[in-house]
Amino acid sequence: MRLHSLALRDFRGVKERIVRFRALGTTVVVGDNEVGKSSLVEAFGLIFELPDDSKSTRIRDIQPVGQDVGPEVSAELSLGGRELTYSKRWLKNRSTELTIVEADGRRQSWTGREAHNEAERLFHEHVDPVLWQTLMVSQGQSLVLPTPADAEPLITAVTAESGTPVDGASMPLVTAVEHEYLRYWTPRGKPTGDYARSAKAVSAAELAAAQALQAMEEVQSDIRRAERLNLDLSDVDTRLSDHLKSVEELRERKKATDEILLRRDSVRSRAETARARLENHTRTRLDRERLLDEVERFTKFEAELATKRADADLVAKTAAETVQAAEAALAEVVELKDLRRTDVQAAERRVSDLMDRAELDRLLGQQTELVDVRARIAAAGTILDRIKVDDAIVAALEDARAAVVEARAALAAGVPEVSVRRLGAEPVELSGTGLDGAVPSELGFDEAAEVLVSGELVIGVPGQLEVTVRAGGEAATLRSRVDDAVRREKDLLKKAGVKDVAAARELLRKADTATAELNEARRTEKSLTAGGDPGERIAVLTARLGPEDDAEEAGKPAVEGVPGQMSLFEEFASPHDTLFDDFDVPEPEADDLAAAQQTLDSAREALAEAERLLSDAEFAVAQARKAADEDRSEAQNARARSELAGERLASAVEALEAARAVLDDDGVSAAETEATAEVEAVLEELTVVQEQADAAGADQVAGELAHALAVAKRLQGERDTLRDALRTTEGRLEQSGRDGLATRRDVADLELAAVRAEHDSLERRAQAARRVYETLSRHRAEAQTKYSEPLQTRIESLGRSVYGPSFKVWLDDDLAVAERELDGIRLRVDALSTGAQEQLAIITRLAISHLVSTGEGSVPVIFDDALGWSDKARLRDMGALLGRAGDHGQIIILTCMPDRYEYVPKATFIKLDA
Amino acid sequence: MDESITFLHSSDWQLGMMRRFLGPDGQARWGQARLDAVARIGEVAEQTGAAFVVVTGDVFEHNQVERQTILRACEALKRIPVPVVLLPGNHDALEPGSLWTSSQWQAHAPEHVTVLTETTPFRIAPGVEIVGAPWRSRRPLSDPAAPGYADLAPEPGIVRILLAHGQLTSLSGGMSDVPTIDQTALEAAVADGRLQYVGLGDRHSTTKVTDRIWFSGTQEVTSPEEDAPGNVLKVTIAAGAIEVEPVRVGAWHMVDHRVELFDEESIKALEDWFAELPDKERTYVRLAGDGSLPLPLLSRLDAMIDAQGEVFASVERWAKFWTVRPAPDAADLESLQLSGPARAAMEELRQALAGGDEGAGAALSLMHRLARDAG
Repeated sequence: MRLHSLALRDFRGVKERIVRFRALGTTVVVGDNEVGKSSLVEAFGLIFELPDDSKSTRIRDIQPVGQDVGPEVSAELSLGGRELTYSKRWLKNRSTELTIVEADGRRQSWTGREAHNEAERLFHEHVDPVLWQTLMVSQGQSLVLPTPADAEPLITAVTAESGTPVDGASMPLVTAVEHEYLRYWTPRGKPTGDYARSAKAVSAAELAAAQALQAMEEVQSDIRRAERLNLDLSDVDTRLSDHLKSVEELRERKKATDEILLRRDSVRSRAETARARLENHTRTRLDRERLLDEVERFTKFEAELATKRADADLVAKTAAETVQAAEAALAEVVELKDLRRTDVQAAERRVSDLMDRAELDRLLGQQTELVDVRARIAAAGTILDRIKVDDAIVAALEDARAAVVEARAALAAGVPEVSVRRLGAEPVELSGTGLDGAVPSELGFDEAAEVLVSGELVIGVPGQLEVTVRAGGEAATLRSRVDDAVRREKDLLKKAGVKDVAAARELLRKADTATAELNEARRTEKSLTAGGDPGERIAVLTARLGPEDDAEEAGKPAVEGVPGQMSLFEEFASPHDTLFDDFDVPEPEADDLAAAQQTLDSAREALAEAERLLSDAEFAVAQARKAADEDRSEAQNARARSELAGERLASAVEALEAARAVLDDDGVSAAETEATAEVEAVLEELTVVQEQADAAGADQVAGELAHALAVAKRLQGERDTLRDALRTTEGRLEQSGRDGLATRRDVADLELAAVRAEHDSLERRAQAARRVYETLSRHRAEAQTKYSEPLQTRIESLGRSVYGPSFKVWLDDDLAVAERELDGIRLRVDALSTGAQEQLAIITRLAISHLVSTGEGSVPVIFDDALGWSDKARLRDMGALLGRAGDHGQIIILTCMPDRYEYVPKATFIKLDA
Repeated sequence: MDESITFLHSSDWQLGMMRRFLGPDGQARWGQARLDAVARIGEVAEQTGAAFVVVTGDVFEHNQVERQTILRACEALKRIPVPVVLLPGNHDALEPGSLWTSSQWQAHAPEHVTVLTETTPFRIAPGVEIVGAPWRSRRPLSDPAAPGYADLAPEPGIVRILLAHGQLTSLSGGMSDVPTIDQTALEAAVADGRLQYVGLGDRHSTTKVTDRIWFSGTQEVTSPEEDAPGNVLKVTIAAGAIEVEPVRVGAWHMVDHRVELFDEESIKALEDWFAELPDKERTYVRLAGDGSLPLPLLSRLDAMIDAQGEVFASVERWAKFWTVRPAPDAADLESLQLSGPARAAMEELRQALAGGDEGAGAALSLMHRLARDAG
């Protein structure tokens, strides 16, 4: 369809207006708000929708308020290869006129309702309503993304291009398959509905059947148990009956043997009495024999112990004496050891003294050297104190000297030089000052003088001539500088105490020498006093060694200026004879340290020997004491045992006498003999009776009867137990019969079979439904991917001209854009910015338009107020896009902002006036 | 005995039996039919002048049947106007907890009914002795009939009837898991005059073993495998002669039917077969089928069987012998005018079925039906 023109008269606020559109390309209809742009779209819809006699309120709405006029709309359009001119007026002077020019030029016209019906038929025949609604964007709807899946022209185009048949014809099947699937399965694939219920019913029936079966199995078990119990009971009854017969036989036999057993019991009783009596007499005899034996044994034992006691006392005494002797020997050795320790101490003292003296000698030499060093330090210090010259002073003197020379040179160059020669005899007197000091007062003959006049020079020949030469003003200045320099030099020389610079240099050299000497002497002093002041150590040693004997001093070396030195030597030479009196060692040389050390070693060996002797003696004493203690203890024990033996002997004698007082020894023997004879007689009688019992089997009969009764009792118990068990089992079986357990089991099996059959049937159907659903869904998904490809390609192609090559889209089942990817970022469309959504919506519509443009069902793309959210750059790109899209179809844009579309190439702008 | 004696021989009433293939309604009607057949035995007794009725075992399906079954059995027995002798069989053995010794039975058993609990001869009529070999356990250790006649000697002038229950050695094919009845010994006892008739139970088909040895068969069919069920035997013994005549008392049928299905004609033949069967509401059909059918015919077959299932007591595909497969052809698919994914999906299922995928067959049938209904 192409819309060529649209004319409105008395339509809402529009009095009269006609707008012509480009059949191909973009027409931009510009007008301010309320000018009636949207009325154009509304009018086009109404003319096909409502007949001229329509009572719809929508017709009333388009009538200008307060005007009794009939709204009128006329349209020129191409539709299905025909050219239509269609006009309609509602309300007042209603009319409808339709003129159609066929492709071959034939013309047909209708009026009234026929015109409306024909126009409506043609519109619906050639314009797909979904596509029409999709591509017509009403005001405020520009953000809505189109969902064009049901637009037939689009489907036709997509199918033609993708080669995938449209599934539209199969949609009822798809719906039916889904419906069938959802009868058995949830959308997530879980069993549901009757299918799920039947599975539960099967589980419940299985449980019921299993329980019923178990009950029947228990019945079967009870039946087998009862059969077994019956057999067992029959067997026990037989055995019990047989056994009771043998019990009766045993009872008869036992009656016959009971008399013999009574007699035997009587004899046994008498035998027991006689045996007890005999045992009593025998015990009395044994007691008597024991007492006699004790008296004899203790008598002998007491005598032996008395002898042992005397021997032990003697041994103890000897041991005590041995202890005393050992203790005396120990005391001697102790004394010897003390002496040896004293000797060692004296030798140690001697060695120590000799070592102290050697140290004292070394310290004295060191002190002499220290005195000398300190004298050298004092001398050098004195020299250095006197010399006031140092490197700085010498440098200053040299600078002053140079200043004087320099000033003089300048003066010499700046003052008149006067040469005076005496030529004649007349004295020539000179006065004044030259540069170099005083001038000669007079000149001899032919003597000449050359004077540099720095001040005033008077040359006179007395009486004849006086010439005064004065230096100029500059000379005075130069002179003054010379004087200053000289004065400064003098001051420095005075300060240094020298007469000139050379002397100062000599003094400086001496000072360096003295400093070197001082430093070396101080190092020596430091090394000599490194171990402390020798004087202190000397004083300590001197004090330790004690005062010297003056008488012994002669001929001994002395150390000058060192107090106490001499007495040291005296003491060193003094012998200590008494220290070595007790030793068999040679007298050492007075100062022979080695000899003294040897003496000390000998003394220590003697002490060690004494200590060994002492240890031996102590051991001997300990041994002797231990032996003495043991012997004393042994003696005490022997005494105690002897006394105890005496006591026991006395006790035994006393007991024997008491027993004899009751019955003498012979009486005891006679009583025992008599009791023995009585026992033998009764036992003989018992033997006879036992032989009689044995012959009658009396003992076995009683045992057999007791055993038989026990067996009978056990069998009766066994029978009773079996009877009880049988009664219980039969009771249960009777109950199970009353309960009809077999019928219950059969009913449960029947129910299970029924629900299982039902479930199996549902299972087959459910699996079939699932198989169909999954197979169809998979093929639909594959087809969908292929099917959406043409539109997807168009959208991406158009979109890339705006967004660049990374632009991609994905479509859903309704061919609507679901996701967009840009620069690798994929987003759902509802996550895009408003502007991007609007641009995507426009791009999608242009793509749809492009796809259907070649088919019969193409319709104009109409945007009523769009691109309100795009920036300038996007407007430029979108404008270019709209221009390209116009090459394939009719695009109509209604806007109050024409600048949004200024970038649309080849667009026709139509301005609507109010 | 100078005159002839006529009595009825029946067995294997199996009262309380259930059949899962009948469904709840069929089960109820069939159960009642088994009692009705007992009542008809009473009618036959009256009509034939039978002196008594003997039932050789398995009167009840179990010893633990529900009370209702016992009471209804007693009511049915009351419909028999002559003495009835019942022999405990393997299903209702005289074992501990036996129905026959239960208070329920003893409280309601009609007076003219005697249960053989011993092997001692029982004088039922002048000159007529019944000896029985009741089962005392479900697992007898030896020939279950032998205790009934082993110690007997011929007694001239007395008609002696042995009632026994069990499979004959000659008929069991060696498949029995319990001791069988020694047919040779039985025939010897008949031959030497100790027994004049041997009434046997356990085999549900009426079976003549010899002139004087018979299985009466069940009074009402219990399985399609049974050859001649639903009879009672009218036995007339005269001096030196015997006449045994099966009289039908059953009303139900259980039928196996094998078909080959491959085209519309075979479907039609099956429809005709169903149409010709009598007593549909009292008939159970077990179908064995083989072949392959195009999807429309398969749908038609399914619909037909479903419909017959409503008419008959039960119609069942015999799972073990039902191998009818869908065989979709190109015309089937074309007729649905499917396109796109739907067509591709159906084609995939068709190929899977051709490759032996059984599940694909059911799916294909379903999809065919849905497509047909949706179209």
